[in-house]
Amino acid sequence: MAATLCFTFLPKQAGWLPLRQCVRYGSKAVTRHRKPVHFLKQKLLAITEYIPPKPEECFRVSRTRETKQDSRMTAFIKREVQATFQQSKMIVVVQNNATTTEDMLQLRHRLHKHDVSVKFFPNQVMRDFLSDSMHKNMKPLFIGSTVLFVSKEPKLKEVLQILKSFPQLVLVGACVDDTLMSRQGIVSYSKLPPLATVQGQVLGGLSLLSSQTSSMLHRHPAHLSALLQQYLKQQVIDGPSQETGPEAQDSVA
Amino acid sequence: MIPLLKSAVCGLSSRAVGCGEAVFLLPGVVIPEKTKLKFMDKVPTLKKVRREMKRLKDIVGPEQRENGFTSGQYGIVAMGGGYLHWGHMEMMRLTINRRIDPRITYALWRINAPYKPITSKGLGKRMGGGKGAVDHYVTPVRCGRLLVELGGHCELGEVKGLLTEVAKKLPFPAKVVSRESLAEMQQAAAAREMNNQNPWTFSRIATANMLGIRKVLSPVDLRHHGRYTGKFHLPERV
Repeated sequence: MAATLCFTFLPKQAGWLPLRQCVRYGSKAVTRHRKPVHFLKQKLLAITEYIPPKPEECFRVSRTRETKQDSRMTAFIKREVQATFQQSKMIVVVQNNATTTEDMLQLRHRLHKHDVSVKFFPNQVMRDFLSDSMHKNMKPLFIGSTVLFVSKEPKLKEVLQILKSFPQLVLVGACVDDTLMSRQGIVSYSKLPPLATVQGQVLGGLSLLSSQTSSMLHRHPAHLSALLQQYLKQQVIDGPSQETGPEAQDSVA
Repeated sequence: MIPLLKSAVCGLSSRAVGCGEAVFLLPGVVIPEKTKLKFMDKVPTLKKVRREMKRLKDIVGPEQRENGFTSGQYGIVAMGGGYLHWGHMEMMRLTINRRIDPRITYALWRINAPYKPITSKGLGKRMGGGKGAVDHYVTPVRCGRLLVELGGHCELGEVKGLLTEVAKKLPFPAKVVSRESLAEMQQAAAAREMNNQNPWTFSRIATANMLGIRKVLSPVDLRHHGRYTGKFHLPERV
């Protein structure tokens, strides 16, 4: 049966009906059976379902967590970790993202040439160990799959060079001589010249002044007095606390 | 409550009473003269038999007037709409009259005798030829209407079994209630409406015609807030 349209007019106070109503052939409004509900009405009924108020959370006394005893495996791993930390001066933490076995082999080979060993430890055990030891601040480094490069001598330059060729290995941090370093710190540390050079530089800088003094004294005294006057002026500018200047100048003159 | 022998209470010694039958009198209970349910006529006494339209809206929606107790304590309340015919009423009358003790309990009708004519064309007849002849009469009942009330010196536990038996045989879902339980039901429904955490309610969306939902709703849905469809009552709706 074709759908028929009926137009109805209603007084405003009774509420309004849609101006056009589709009257299709079908059962009456009141039936003995449950009439199939229009999909949109089903949706409406689903949205407007009753939601009961949430009961307040009962105050539960949190049971004190019984201290878990470490399993023997965990204890063994912890001992290994401790030994590693004691023996090695340099510990580099690296995050590895899906390294293949052959890549790992290559890495190991190249690091072995510089006496750097690659260690794998489970993160949970590491964190447990670190929270007790003095390297507490290394804890946040051990998230995700991590590898440790440990060695007795600090060889960061070589490690960095090798890691350049492995893009999936991301340097996270390092602990060299009980000093924690971030990525930038490692890079700058590796760029440092060796210790002897640095020591020589420091000594040279310290002895510079004393070496310069003798050459300055050999020069014309007028030059020297000009220098001292300039020095006095600077002292005055700096602060009134410097009063030794004028007295010295009088004595010299 | 004063325990007394039944014979003492009733004052009628003509009827044989089992020895040791004690009855506890409840205060403030007045037992009317005629305690049993009276007979309902199958056909109302009318001069002229008129055929009526179906007017199915007498089934639809909640009962607004006859939905409270008058003098009784316990009763049967309809939880859906429907028509009661003479057979239902006879069943109710006979069961209740048989089971109650007329000296300490009384029952009264809360529905009329059948008055709405239902026509029938008869078996095998073709369509057309006018409206059929009146076949029988029925009483329309809406959801929430009280059908029968019971009272007297009795507890709910005594009459509950009897009333549930009757309620199950009715053509619509029905519940056995006492005054308190009915009030509790109504209060619970009101509280549910109040503490509903859902900000979206049927009436809100329908009255505002959000998303043009009134295309699939009827004015009856609006009036009854989606709690009644046809003659059925949806108790989970709020």
